[in-house]
Amino acid sequence: MAFLLRRLGSAVFVVFGAMTLVFFVLYMLPGNPAALVAGPGASPAMIATIQAQLGTNRPLPQQYVDYLWRLAHGDLGTSFATNDPVLARIWAQCPATLELTFCSCAIAVVLGVSLGIVSAICENRWPDRLIQTIVLFLVAMPSFWIGILLILLFSVLLHWLPAMGSATLAQLVLPSACLGLNVSGQLERMVRGSVLDVLHEPFVATLRGKGLQEFPILFRHVLRNALIPVITLFGVLIGQLLSGAVVIETLFARQGLGRLVVDALSLRDIPVLQGVVLFVSVFYVLLNLLIDLSYAWIDRRVRT
Amino acid sequence: MPTRRQFNTLLAGASMAAAAGSRAAATPKPGGDLAIAYDGAAITFFLLDAHNCRIAPQARILRSIYDNLVVLRDDQTLAPWLATSWEISSDRRQYTFTLRQGVVFHDGTTFDAAAVKANFDRILDPANALASLPEIGPFSGATVLSPTQVRLEFSAPFEPFLYNLSSTNLAMVSPAAVAKYGKSFSQNPVGTGPFKFVSLVPGHEIRLAKNPDYQWAPANAAHSGPAYLDTLTFTNVPEQLTRVAALQSGQVQGADLIPSQNIAQFKTDPDFQFLQKNLPGTNFAMALNVDKAPWNDFDVRNAVRLSLNIDEIVRVIYLGTIERAWSPLSPNLFGSAEPDLRGSWKPDPAQARAILDSKGWVPGGDGIRVKNGQRLAISFIDANGNREQRLDVIHLVRRQLNETGIDLAVDSEAFGTFFTKIAHDEFDAVGVSQYAPDPDVLRYSFVPQFRAPYDGTRANDPLLNQWLIAAAAEGDPVQRAKLYAQAQTRIVNQVYAIPIYIERYNLALATSTRGVALDAHGFPVYHAAAIGSA
Repeated sequence: MAFLLRRLGSAVFVVFGAMTLVFFVLYMLPGNPAALVAGPGASPAMIATIQAQLGTNRPLPQQYVDYLWRLAHGDLGTSFATNDPVLARIWAQCPATLELTFCSCAIAVVLGVSLGIVSAICENRWPDRLIQTIVLFLVAMPSFWIGILLILLFSVLLHWLPAMGSATLAQLVLPSACLGLNVSGQLERMVRGSVLDVLHEPFVATLRGKGLQEFPILFRHVLRNALIPVITLFGVLIGQLLSGAVVIETLFARQGLGRLVVDALSLRDIPVLQGVVLFVSVFYVLLNLLIDLSYAWIDRRVRT
Repeated sequence: MPTRRQFNTLLAGASMAAAAGSRAAATPKPGGDLAIAYDGAAITFFLLDAHNCRIAPQARILRSIYDNLVVLRDDQTLAPWLATSWEISSDRRQYTFTLRQGVVFHDGTTFDAAAVKANFDRILDPANALASLPEIGPFSGATVLSPTQVRLEFSAPFEPFLYNLSSTNLAMVSPAAVAKYGKSFSQNPVGTGPFKFVSLVPGHEIRLAKNPDYQWAPANAAHSGPAYLDTLTFTNVPEQLTRVAALQSGQVQGADLIPSQNIAQFKTDPDFQFLQKNLPGTNFAMALNVDKAPWNDFDVRNAVRLSLNIDEIVRVIYLGTIERAWSPLSPNLFGSAEPDLRGSWKPDPAQARAILDSKGWVPGGDGIRVKNGQRLAISFIDANGNREQRLDVIHLVRRQLNETGIDLAVDSEAFGTFFTKIAHDEFDAVGVSQYAPDPDVLRYSFVPQFRAPYDGTRANDPLLNQWLIAAAAEGDPVQRAKLYAQAQTRIVNQVYAIPIYIERYNLALATSTRGVALDAHGFPVYHAAAIGSA
């Protein structure tokens, strides 16, 4: 319980820190949101009026306190550009990004872990060499490039899958494969290394000496120990998947938080940016909290 | 110098030849959804207000939602649309329009003289700060003479007016909807066009549906009555390869701004048709910031230009699909000096080096010239991304400039920062191009007191100002064309801007899609579009 509370406390601290940092960084960026809201033909007087309406002409500390106060009341503010509540805009884009993140996670885990295990068992034999070569490509190639190749093969040549959009399940396949493949390569290397480390430990030799079959050794004893560092890495990779979504959403013309961020950044729509950063950091921190808790479940030594 | 009429005859010949090549029409099949993937690269927030747009990718969509008082035909003459006829007073300060009857906006309100007056009053009001304001010039007010007659008054003659009236920038919007939605009108556009606005997803998608009441197509329309299509969907697909793939895989029926390497394929493949047209307006040009040293020195600007082999740049990037430009105005626009300026200068890197040497710019350690500790480097500001492969062009420009010891760095900014930096003069060069049906576009680009805030030209040349202001009021077409020719020659000779390529719009469509045409502005018209024939 104390473990859980400690983790929760640090999670709140991390979210608060991210929020504060983003608040000040955004207001330090060049570019006047009022000028953008006013449109290309606006006069300085009009821009000043709009600045007063938006409240962006007040001292920064005052705006910060005001922001925290509203946040404490569950109000994320309204978009400078569209006047919609920020929460509604995030909510509208959120499903597309979560779908993409979860599907690419699934692809990354299934491929990364299974290839990693096969590679470790067949260390330095041809299946290992083959997998390592493929993985080298997956890790080295930017996801953007993998995406272009996937579109050419599956949309243009084979006509199996749509090249763009985010409405149907079929439209999810290529983008999540594209994001997932890249991450699966990194995961595979970690799994392979980690499994090999454990396989070379003396207790495995002991188990073999006791006459246990290779399969139970692998699944009951080796993986349990080998997966802990992999799960840690996975928490970091989730962050990579979320940020990779920006590129993938543009390439596949999908809706999503990534596009929302790019749009908001371009328009200096500060409330929307703050909202998305808050949302993503809460999501990321919660996920890593779950991962921390899962160690305790996998390995009881962590709880102390 | 051709008069406007002679110029028109020239163009008419060209457009007739183009029409002869088009497929014979079969009976179009009503219904269906036409999905278009379009390049809205820099567009992150839709501005669907006709009077506050001026962004070509979105203006092309506005064409389907809004109608105009007059229509511009391919031969560059004007024909009736929502106005059935018009008269110009002898002092050229009053235009009296007779309006078509029975026209209604998508919100059910009537289009009449009061609506026309409300439209122009809205643009004129400086508090609205609408982007179309420069296009009404010295407009002073409107008088409703009867429900079908309205008089528009000007404080001075303004020759571009009728032509500007044909542009989406001066299309007729519903005054009732403007009052209802206020600032969010751009998210809820209401016009009289063949398609009505249904919904949008910001930055991503715009959905339109057939206007079943539509009976007021322009005089040159291929079809009268409501559109054949049920719905029309525009998806913003900034990545050019994805647009091409979406069309090739049949996910959409049309994709625009096909990159040059794919054009030949769409032209020859029987499954596709390919439409293209040069856009009237200003050619894409690189404008040097003449407010700032060292670009305020003609010799340095000239050295920049002499370093460039523009023929080579345009050939390498566009593979012969787009022409190189010589003049500020596009060749299909009245008054363009393209024929006069063709071949007016030649690349000469040796002379560029000699000029820079004599000016005291000496090559530094990395080959880039230095003077008094300052590097000879151009900060090229951009917010369009690689739309129309413009950044590819600029990268080749940099490579050629490096040869003579000039550096160039691309300062890629979001639109917000872009506007701010333009306003504060924090750039050395910028790419400029605007769509326009009249050469007057040069006035609000090059004359400081009329210059739009987003325009990056910085020239302030008394002669140029005088000619461009006089040309806007000049009634004699020969004299007017002469003024524009002088102005363009001056812009080129003074290197205020270096024209690079002639803007050309293209749209590839599945062969089953028929009836889509590009109008005289180079904008797609979907009114007569249908999927398949009955």
